[in-house]
Amino acid sequence: MTDQARILIVDDEPQLTRVLRMGLKSRGYDVRAAADGLAGFEAFTDWHPDLVITDLAMPNVDGLELCRRVRAVSQVPIIVLSAKGEEKTKVEALDLGADDFVTKPFGIDELLARVRASLRRANAPATNDKTPTILDSGDFHVDLESREITVRGKPIHLTPKEFDLLVYFIKHAGKVLTHRTLLTALWGGNYVEQNEYLRVFVGNLRKKLEPDLAIPRYILTEPWIGYRFDPGQ
Amino acid sequence: MSSVLIPGYNVLMRRSVLDQRWAGYVVAALGVLASTVVLKLIGNHVNAATVSLALLLNVLFIATRWGSLPALAASIFAMLCFNFFFLPPFGTFNIAATDNWVALVAFLITAVTAGELSARATRRAEEAEVGRLEIERLYAELRDAFERASHAEALRQSENLKSALLDAVTHDLRTPLTSIKASITTLLDEARGRVDGEAPLALDAESKMEMMEVIDEESDRLSRFINGLIELAQIEAGELQLRRRWGVVDEIISAALLRAEPLTRQHHLEVDIEKDLPGVRVDERAVSEVVYTLVENAAKYSSQDSMIKVAAQRAGEESIQMSVEDEGQGIPVELRERVFDKFFRATRDGDISTQQPSGTGMGLAIAKGIVEAHEGKIWIESGAGGIGTRVVFTLPIGDE
Repeated sequence: MTDQARILIVDDEPQLTRVLRMGLKSRGYDVRAAADGLAGFEAFTDWHPDLVITDLAMPNVDGLELCRRVRAVSQVPIIVLSAKGEEKTKVEALDLGADDFVTKPFGIDELLARVRASLRRANAPATNDKTPTILDSGDFHVDLESREITVRGKPIHLTPKEFDLLVYFIKHAGKVLTHRTLLTALWGGNYVEQNEYLRVFVGNLRKKLEPDLAIPRYILTEPWIGYRFDPGQ
Repeated sequence: MSSVLIPGYNVLMRRSVLDQRWAGYVVAALGVLASTVVLKLIGNHVNAATVSLALLLNVLFIATRWGSLPALAASIFAMLCFNFFFLPPFGTFNIAATDNWVALVAFLITAVTAGELSARATRRAEEAEVGRLEIERLYAELRDAFERASHAEALRQSENLKSALLDAVTHDLRTPLTSIKASITTLLDEARGRVDGEAPLALDAESKMEMMEVIDEESDRLSRFINGLIELAQIEAGELQLRRRWGVVDEIISAALLRAEPLTRQHHLEVDIEKDLPGVRVDERAVSEVVYTLVENAAKYSSQDSMIKVAAQRAGEESIQMSVEDEGQGIPVELRERVFDKFFRATRDGDISTQQPSGTGMGLAIAKGIVEAHEGKIWIESGAGGIGTRVVFTLPIGDE
């Protein structure tokens, strides 16, 4: 972020790309736009952006295929622009590796917030490099070796599966995680349809973590899609 | 009396009585008796063969009508009558000559066999009839089930169509709205002087102006889309109010071209209107709208500096024909009817690639509605030399 972060916008609506290009440029980002998935992927391989914002329904190569192609070669954050009623495609995009989504029509603030969060996550020190033993994230402090967790300074006791789920959440903080992604990561591919497993464990975790169960602030529900973890400040 | 007053009832009664098996025995007895009397009246010396054939007829009749048991009874009774009245010595059951025994036994066997065969044939025919009725019933049931199924299928398809249309409409409403919302929130942030996150806001005057232009253009687009929807709905409901007046083709085309001028500036426009074209009794505004839509499409889907030809000529005694032709990439034959379907976009749904954004998918549908409301026809053909697209429509001149 010290240099200008590069953002690639892929959308077949010239008016929208025009506006987003100006809006993002005015915030100091370096922006390029492409009109479909094919041109988008070409721009991606040529220009190596730090973040991709893509529409889902596009001629030639659509947003889903673009996600698939980008993920095959890179871990750069992808934000999907979707519309209400496109839930199925949106979940598919997230399963294919998209990091976040914004629902049309959206205010520029919302998009900018998602852009900042995605870039922050991507620029965070790579914790996976040398198998860290301590995870510090917002209100959470986790010792992976002794499997001890403190939240807002208070130790809490979790079952092994709850512990694994929370660690997965912390490692992917801010990112939208689909039911399928979570089930596959924690229970394996045979359980991808067992949303109720997840509901039970998320419920238990919330009881132990959340100060107010009625308004969860750490584990946020994305209706019909999955969850997003916010570690707090 | 009752038979006179209520003939239908009487027939039914008779039929139902005759259908009883005991009626078969009665008719058998009466029939054989009557035959015997008639034969006796003819004379004592009637040939034995004649007698046996006459009596056999009774048996056959009974077998066909009432089945094998009454036929068997008829056979035995006929055999007894044959023996008593026609085989000497007459009036007794004794038989004098051996050959008459043979005749009697042969008669009995023939009668019983013929009766049985004939009854069986009748039974088979009845079974076949029952089978036929059963097949007809099954067929009717199947047809009803099929009709119900196709009705359900039609409903399902119509639901699917509705949801596809809703998707198309919401997409077209949401797209400009998204650009407007993104522009206006950017401008608002700038006006409020808000600086959030790490990136400071720096909108130059040119960007601000551009954003406002986007808002302006996209609002127009929304408005056009909504007007189009209303017009389509009117056409579909048959409520298109045509204000038909005598008009001049030149003026209709000029009005359309004037309106389309900003779109055709980069193209070469050629207008070819036949001399001495008669006036036409049409809704000038609506027809001009058709010409405008066709010219707009031509400009949108062909490259700069290419030619757009607008032509009008007589087509037979009672119609005139107008056409708009471009030098674009053309429309494949298989899509030439579908492009008139509402919300169908060749660039999006028809796998035609272009740099142009797709339109609303309503222009040609509305044009078709207007032309058909005038009892004209509209179609698409290839341009001159097989290049580009030529959209042609006809309009009746009108006779009042």
